[in-house]
Parts: sequence; structure tokens; C-alpha cells
Amino acid sequence: MAVMSSLQDPIRDGLRGGWKVMGGPHGEVPPRITCDVAIVGSGAGAGVTAELLAKAGLRVVIVEEGPLKSSADFNQQESAAYPSLYQESAARKTQDKAINILQGRCVGGSTTVNWTSSFRTPVATLDYWRAHFGLDSFGKDALAPYFAQAERRLSISPWLTPPNENNDLLRRGAAKLGIEAAAIARNVKGCWNLGSCGMGCPTNAKQSMLVTTIPAALDLGATLLVETRAERFELANGKVQALLCGPVKANGAPASTDSEATSIVARHYVLAAGAINSPAVLLRSGAPDPHGRLGRRTFLHPVVMSAGFMPGKVEGWAGAPQTIYTDHFLETQPIDGPIGFKLEAPPMHPVIFASSVVGFGKEQAALFRKFADTHVLLALMRDGFHPQAPGGQVKLRGDGSPALDYPLTEFVMEGARRAMLAMAEIQFAAGAKQVLPVHELARPYESWTQAKQAIEKLAMKPLLTKVVSAHVMGGCGAAGDEKRGVTRPDGIHWQLDNLSVHDGSIFPTSIGANPQLSIYGIVNRLAQGLAKRLGGRDVILG
Amino acid sequence: MQRRSLLALGVVSAAVLAVGGGLIAALQPGLREVRLSAGGREVFSGASRGLLDGSLPSGGAALERALEALLERIDGLIAALPPHAQSELSQLLALLASAGGRRALAGLSDPWPLASVADIQQALQGMRVSGLSLRQQAYQALHDIVGSAYFSDPQTWGLLGYPGPLKI
Repeated sequence: MAVMSSLQDPIRDGLRGGWKVMGGPHGEVPPRITCDVAIVGSGAGAGVTAELLAKAGLRVVIVEEGPLKSSADFNQQESAAYPSLYQESAARKTQDKAINILQGRCVGGSTTVNWTSSFRTPVATLDYWRAHFGLDSFGKDALAPYFAQAERRLSISPWLTPPNENNDLLRRGAAKLGIEAAAIARNVKGCWNLGSCGMGCPTNAKQSMLVTTIPAALDLGATLLVETRAERFELANGKVQALLCGPVKANGAPASTDSEATSIVARHYVLAAGAINSPAVLLRSGAPDPHGRLGRRTFLHPVVMSAGFMPGKVEGWAGAPQTIYTDHFLETQPIDGPIGFKLEAPPMHPVIFASSVVGFGKEQAALFRKFADTHVLLALMRDGFHPQAPGGQVKLRGDGSPALDYPLTEFVMEGARRAMLAMAEIQFAAGAKQVLPVHELARPYESWTQAKQAIEKLAMKPLLTKVVSAHVMGGCGAAGDEKRGVTRPDGIHWQLDNLSVHDGSIFPTSIGANPQLSIYGIVNRLAQGLAKRLGGRDVILG
Repeated sequence: MQRRSLLALGVVSAAVLAVGGGLIAALQPGLREVRLSAGGREVFSGASRGLLDGSLPSGGAALERALEALLERIDGLIAALPPHAQSELSQLLALLASAGGRRALAGLSDPWPLASVADIQQALQGMRVSGLSLRQQAYQALHDIVGSAYFSDPQTWGLLGYPGPLKI
């Protein structure tokens, strides 16, 4: 049953061609490594940084906790993908278990498993950052060339293939209600429209970091350590002296009694491990945090979902996911008013469906049997713009692993109620026979009137309302002064002069859109600045 | 019944909070060397009969085989979890496998292997809509692990009408 790709695998070709890759099956990592720049992580921020710094002529070492997997490994099955490519086997949860977090943990990070949605940072978000965090240099026009370079480099462009039925239902339902919906740009080249993006692209069409910037850096002589976790920085005199790391097993457990078996000494260090692990590395390092900012204001775009049962086939597993969206409900109120949300139509596969469908027994079995006719919408809520949506806090467990404490406030949960109402109305407008908000106390409703009455009365509480997230942001927020942030506007840590943070953790709020292009574009500018600062050649992405 | 189990849970929760790992350490762990212990298997086997009623084969040897295969997949799923999640799950299963924990946390009188599907479902529903987050968390852990493990096997996809990925 396993379907292996028979296509060319550029990663296996690169390994045969002599790329410097160590860790896991690629050979033991030596106890001491020296380089110009050590980068923690290999996802969106790390990949862009690695390519630019390698092009600038700097000696780069990339440290990735997850394995190096590639198209020949990607068999389009969740049972293989989740344990090998995702943090905590795709079951990472907030401390109270009320939010399930999908985050990549492999070479390429979340870009290897994301659904390709590409948006520039919304102008309203940048305006808010300037007004509230002193990020004066983060203007739309100032960032535009950096976004344009990232779009060219990663083949980000409008997706011209007709949407699959799951997405077209969003388009049709919204149109019936006079709500504007539009196509989502995607980072793909020669996409086969399989719909398996979340399990690793088996055809290398998705222009993730795995097949673009990381290979480019390796071709230029960079070193990649895999299955190696960055444990902590050794700090002295306001500087990072070394990065200590050690081998990990497939499930993230230490593979050796010495979790600091390797010491990497570099001129500069770049933390790009994602917005849960980046703050965690700094917390484990005892990094200075004079203003109590580290690990705080961590955002998730909390997501709620609604299932519509359609009269015909939807087959949400087939075809590119998330190709249509509407921002109507982000724009019906001010950015700092009641929480707004973006609507999209995700991909549907058996494991994610079975664990998301609430309930059990014969009632749930009846829903399973309607899988092929099920339309799913998701609403991602824009957190971080209101005092009652302050996000969460990354803390450390006794074993040093990170835990995210993210209280779902009444303010956020009222947004969840409005989102469930909006999704149900769109699904009925698109022709749904029944709509089931994904909530433990909800039932399939037969009409918009019935759904509206029921949703207005639902107890919108954590653990009753199914909440998930695929976007982790914040925790090392950038700001124009050290009182309001962990990093400076150029990405350099306010208190540690030879450390930069280059990932979504520098965002001082959530983005209000799928964040990958925000990370590519903003980090592109930060990394070009860093290359100059370190005396490298002038470089651009592309 | 509901009132009594809530009170009983109050005692158990207080004890768990007060002595932390102490009480749980006195119970048989739910995992042994990252595989389900005998008690852990009983919990998952019982919970699966309740959760997947209507999806699993309806009885006899076919049901036994399906449950056995499901427990194998649950073992595989648990092995892939990070250490902190394994240890939390082991503690949860230890509680649910003990007579007191089963009654207090799940509200189930009979041992898992002897309980009827109806009784198990009543217990699951009680946990699902409980006002106590510990009970809700326990329900969701069972729900998510059982659902994920069951439908990770291509042999179950027929029920969903899912044809599997396209060959490339």
C-alpha cells in the first residue's frame, strides 16, 4: 500500500555528491566545531539565513533536531509523516491540553510539511508594530523588495489551477453571501495537485527550505547536523561563547548520556528553532531578560473548525489544500477590536479527521462514513492585538523541554463563537445539508436558523471547543527599545551582542495570515544586514 | 452516581496534587519500556470498544483481532511520543487501570475488560463533558490516541471511503 516516489530526489543526490551532513545515520558529530555562524533550526528563518550567509562567503553550521527526510521517504501517509516530520509526533499540546499544535521537526522545519499558503505581512499588522513596538523600519514599502526576492526565489505566485471542491465550496458559499473570497498564492513549481503537502511533498514541487535554501547552502560548503538538539548557549561577558548540543532519538529523547556532547564555537549565532523552541533554548541558557519579555507573548492563531455535510462528493484529501481564503471577518472590525479571523479550507486525511471529529460510538461512526462528503472550514484568529488576547508563555518542564501555557480567554472564545457562526452560514449557503461545529456539545444542525440558535448558546470553553494551531509566533519579540522586546529591529538580541533571532518568534503579535512568507521576507532583510555586519559579501536572496 | 464520582474524584485529585508522583508511583505504571503494560492494554482495549463502537467489527474473533492490531498501533504511536508525554500518559493509564482511579476518574464501576459497551460509553460521556479538566483531558487523550491509531491503518480506510494516496 505504501506509495514511494520514483522521482529524482535532490537530497539523496546531494548526499552522494559530498554534502557535509552529520548526525543520526550520517555519522557522528565531533565534540568541537568552529565556524563563522551557527544556526539553530533549518526551517523558514534558518533556511533563508543559511543560504544568504553561505553566499556571503561565511562558514555556516546548521543544527537541526529532526531527521533529514526527502521525497523518496515521503509516502503520502500520515502514519509515517507525523512521527518523523512533526514536533511531538503532531500531538504537541499547550499546557492545559486545550490546543493541539502542528509544527515541523525535520530538515526544512514546518516548511517541509506546511500547506504552501503564502501571504505578505498584512499592512494593518505592520502599522500596529510601528505604533506599539517602535518597529519604524517595518513599513510596507521598506519590506517590499525583500518580499519580492523571497517570492522569486521560492516560486511564490498565484495558483491558477481550479480549486478543489473543498476550497470551491468556500468560494461559492462566500459569493452567495456577498463575501469577498480570493485565491491564495503558493510556493510551488510544477505542483501535481496531489494534496499531500502535509506529509512532505513527494514530487519536490513545494519550494520548501528542504529543496531550496538548505541545498543551496550545502552546495556552498555549509555543514548540516541532524538529529542533534541545541541544548543551550554558554554565556559570558554579554556574549555567546559556544552552542552546546547533543544527539537525540527519533522521539526527541536524548540519545546519549551527554546532552552537550558537541560544542560549536562561532563568531555569531542565529536562533531560528521556531517560536516554542527558540525561547526554550534561551531559557535553558539562562539568557538575560531584564524586562521579563522572554517566552512571553507567544501567539498561535488559535483555530476553530466547522464540518459541513454536502449532498455530493467533496473528497477533501484530493487536490491542493488552502487555495481560497476570505479576510472578510478580519476587516469587519478594527484590528484592536473584537478578535478577527481568516477563513480557509484545510486538507483532509484519515488520521487528522478521526482525531478531530468529536464524539464516539455509533454517532461518530456515522460521521466517519460521511468523510468523502465532508467540507471543512477553519478560522484562524488574529491574537496579540488586544489586551485580552495576550498570547501564551513558553516555560520549561523539569526535563528542560518547553511547555506553552496558553490560556484561551473569554475574549478569544467569543471570537471562536463568531467564527463558528460565520463558517456555518457559509457552509449552508454553499449547499450543506447539515453543519457540525467542531465542539463537544454541538450536534449536526439541519439549517442555518437552527445552527445559529445552537451556536449562540454553546458553552465556548477550552476542552469543549476543539482548538488547534499550525502557526506559532512570538516569544522573542522585536521592538525598537529593550523594554518592549527581546530582539532589536535588526534581529540581534538586546542583551547578547553576537546572537540573532531569525524566525517567527520575533513577531510582536501574530501575523493575521499564514506566516511563512512573513518569515521569509523579514528574515531575508535581517540576514542581508547580518552578512554585512559580519564582513561578508553583499548578497540578496535569489 | 454523578455526584458520588465527583466527590471521589475530588479526593483522588487532591491526593494526586498533594503527593505528586508519590501516589502514582505506588500504582502499576501504564507503560513498561514504552509499551502498554497489562493494565494499560485493558484501559485502551475497553476504551476502544466504547469509542469505536460502530466502526470496529461487531464482535467475535474479528473484533478480537481488530483490537489486538489496534493495541499494536497504539504501542507504535506511543513510542513516537517525547519522554514527557510518555510519562504523563503512563501516569494517566496507571490511574485508569487501578480500581479507585477507574471509578473516580472514569466513573466506571466494572473493570475495563468486564464492562459493557454501554457502561464504558456512559463513563466516556461523563469524562467528556465533565467540569473537571483532568477528566476532560483524560477523555481527549483516549479519544485522540484511539482514533489516530485506528485510522492510521489503510485497512480501515474503506469505512471512510478514502481510496489512499495517488500513485506517483
